[in-house]
Amino acid sequence: MSDGDTPGASAAPPASAPAPGGVAIALAARRVTKRFPGVVANGEVEFELRQGEVHTVLGENGAGKSTLAALLCGLYQPDEGHIERQGRPVRLRSPREGLARGIGMVHQHFRLVERFTVAENVVLGDPAQPALLRRADIETRVAEIGERFGLPVDPRARVSSLTVGQRQRVEIVKVLYRGAEVLLLDEPTAVLTPQEAEALFTTVRAMTAEGKAVVFISHKLGEVMAVSDRVTVMRGGRVTGEVATAATSARELAELMVGRPIEAEVRRGSPADPGTGDGPATPALEAADVRLVRGGQTLLDGIDLAVRPGEVVGVAGVAGNGQRELAAVLAGITAPSAGRVRVAGIDVTGRGARAARDAGLAFVPEDRLGTGLVPGLSLTDNMLLTRRRGFLVTRRAARREMATAIDAFEIKTPGTEAEARVLSGGNAQKVLLARELTGLGTDRGPRAIIVASPTRGLDIGAAEMVRGLLHEARQHGGAVLIISEDLDEVRSLADRMVVLYRGRVALEGPTDELTLEEIGLAMAGVAGAVAGVGAGDGAGDDAAVGSP
Amino acid sequence: MRLRLERRLEQRWWHAVAAPVGAVVAALAVGAVFLAIEGFSPLTVYRELFKASFTSAFGITDSLAIATPLVVTGLAAAVAFRMNLFNIGAEGQLYAGAIGGAWAGLALGPHLPAPLAVAAVLAASAVGGLVWALPMAVFKAWFGTSEIITSLMLTFVAQYLMRYLIFGSRSYWRDPESTNFPQGRKIAEAAELPQFGTYRIGWGLVVVVAVAVAVWALIRFTSVGFDMNVVGTSPEAARYAGISTVRVVLMGLLLSGALGGLAGGIEVAGRAHALDPNGLELGLGFTGIVVAALARYNPFAILLVATFLGGLRNAGVALQTLPGARVPVEVSLMLQGAILLFAIGAEIFVRHWLRLVRSGLGPAAGAGLSTAADPGEPVGPAGRAEVTA
Repeated sequence: MSDGDTPGASAAPPASAPAPGGVAIALAARRVTKRFPGVVANGEVEFELRQGEVHTVLGENGAGKSTLAALLCGLYQPDEGHIERQGRPVRLRSPREGLARGIGMVHQHFRLVERFTVAENVVLGDPAQPALLRRADIETRVAEIGERFGLPVDPRARVSSLTVGQRQRVEIVKVLYRGAEVLLLDEPTAVLTPQEAEALFTTVRAMTAEGKAVVFISHKLGEVMAVSDRVTVMRGGRVTGEVATAATSARELAELMVGRPIEAEVRRGSPADPGTGDGPATPALEAADVRLVRGGQTLLDGIDLAVRPGEVVGVAGVAGNGQRELAAVLAGITAPSAGRVRVAGIDVTGRGARAARDAGLAFVPEDRLGTGLVPGLSLTDNMLLTRRRGFLVTRRAARREMATAIDAFEIKTPGTEAEARVLSGGNAQKVLLARELTGLGTDRGPRAIIVASPTRGLDIGAAEMVRGLLHEARQHGGAVLIISEDLDEVRSLADRMVVLYRGRVALEGPTDELTLEEIGLAMAGVAGAVAGVGAGDGAGDDAAVGSP
Repeated sequence: MRLRLERRLEQRWWHAVAAPVGAVVAALAVGAVFLAIEGFSPLTVYRELFKASFTSAFGITDSLAIATPLVVTGLAAAVAFRMNLFNIGAEGQLYAGAIGGAWAGLALGPHLPAPLAVAAVLAASAVGGLVWALPMAVFKAWFGTSEIITSLMLTFVAQYLMRYLIFGSRSYWRDPESTNFPQGRKIAEAAELPQFGTYRIGWGLVVVVAVAVAVWALIRFTSVGFDMNVVGTSPEAARYAGISTVRVVLMGLLLSGALGGLAGGIEVAGRAHALDPNGLELGLGFTGIVVAALARYNPFAILLVATFLGGLRNAGVALQTLPGARVPVEVSLMLQGAILLFAIGAEIFVRHWLRLVRSGLGPAAGAGLSTAADPGEPVGPAGRAEVTA
């Protein structure tokens, strides 16, 4: 059956490119531009992947990494510029055409059919398969590929019974089975435990040893340094640098990523703040031994946290280490599995978002349009979203308030009755802050404010204004908790810092006393020595957060 | 060159009007093809259709008579659709409402003065529809069971229950005098909605306009309506704001069911004056879905659209007797179906537009329709297409 053997192409020695000179270029993007309505997702991006290398595309959220990957694998088509495979321009109209040319993408969100077995998923949609599947052959080949690249999976297991890490292996086997010579891995470690991530790196090395080339998409500096040969850094849809890993440092990469020297921005508001010390003031926001277990996974593992009036505390950490869950638990949106949450001394644990708000909590979520604001409602109605409303909705006061906010914060909008969906990111953030900080400093104003990624995606002017507002909130005695994956943002705003690693507090201390190295190590989970539990207020048995 | 569907950055008011109007025009064009195949002149048929329904006093009032229940079933569908919930069982809720309304007309009607008797019929019908919607609402709100399935299945149950009450048993609703052909018992005269003179319309029309205004006011001015808007468009924002999705879904679906039931009550009190399966099984509930879709869920637009579709149905009968060309009644039903299809299809153009784009590599090589995802969600939009999660 010569037809059935086609997928075996990957078993054959890699069909090497007619290499121009020294290094063969497996895949390249040449001045590629991709626009979406209102945004340039990729602007004249140059990218080169050499045969046999691991090349990371590094950048913050929204920097254009995923768009570039989508262009490289055929999911999107460039508006300008072109893609080259082994030195020749190619047109990839679909991921299938990409695969036909040996380019396979492993998405961040898996695309597997739960009810099918591993082998069935592997051949699902494979144009090379004969109409009648030859199961035994497929299963043998799947097992063989798994063994060769360190991806142990049982071909007969149903996907529904697999762990997240195993499912990712299936995705990788899937593209290898179809003969991929170039693999694009989009944020592959985002869903993995460190051990699984380590296994993945081993697989990646096994693949490059066979001459395959790997594009690794990530925003995690640590793993980038660990796994890749070269790094292309993106910011705002453009390439800001391309460096060999050996010739750079995490620090330099971070600066390329953020676009400015990192240390320069550490500039907090006036240090003259009332309650920074361990004054007697009751914490305005407090988490005591908070745990959250969902689907057998421990997302928050005994978090102790206290934010006092007039204090800004920053929560740093690599994405996916519990920040989002912590915000949801503190804001009353998610009930913790164990532990207590108090707002201004009132226990609001598990009593819902309304109860937390009534106690004096304000929350500016990471997702502004869609969570914080309802895109289809007017700005006035969005002002009312989190308010207590009677049976009848009275808009007059909210409308006036919104009009004032539009003037005060220079919000660009057609008017108070415009739908929120027309707002840009910066303006949406201003509207959110205007709502959440209403009445600040008065009795009915918020006592504690949680802000997730306050300045992400904002231009310099808007970011400055947001910083100013948060500073003002603190001056008025508000307790501010900033949760952000952007370390600079946290360091520049917070008086005190907490680093989360795998749902635990890995490091805690005054921002000025923590070195970048300490913080970086804690973020990477190797901070056993410095890990100290905050407050240590007799949380009980599991309070000791030691080294993993 | 390729055609690409892109999100509109700016939406103008006329987009919301152009889409349904375009849908109707497109449906008429498709209908014209079928008419032509059947050997009719589409222009003549459409002209006759318009003349029969909208030019004479009797034509207009007959159209409005059909439009009357359609307004309420349209509102029933719209209330749910606004929340992204698909109660397609207004038909069954209408039957349940008719059963409840007829009971009130029979049991309470003789003992009450006219306005109260009518109010009793309408209230009982709304309760009937609400009760019928209860399983759908409860299972959806707490267990996430598809309301599409439950509402559709319950429609059949309601239909056979109604038939059983009249044809299959000696129930309270059946007229004991009618021995050869079973019929429903006439409700008390006091419980009937008065007619306007000799026309076939009456106070029912006033009632449905009032209900449309009430639904609009509920959506616009009450917290319940506010919460329904939030839950429907941004479930995440609802969670964030502490709005109970369970409560809002429950209330929305029950309101939808009550409206469906009310349509049954209006039919009983205004036209049938009895529980009359043959007279009620007109697909008014299903047509309400078309009304809601074409009106883009706007209560006032529903009044207009119901009139238009009422006219279309009314003309369907008139067309059959067209001198020289007996156009089958199915034509108007087919047009109705085509309108729904196009109305749903046109919805995307309210927020999107088609744009011709030049491809990146070389001159035009192949045309195709590709969709551009929102930039905010580049490759794998979270929450969507997560097959394994």
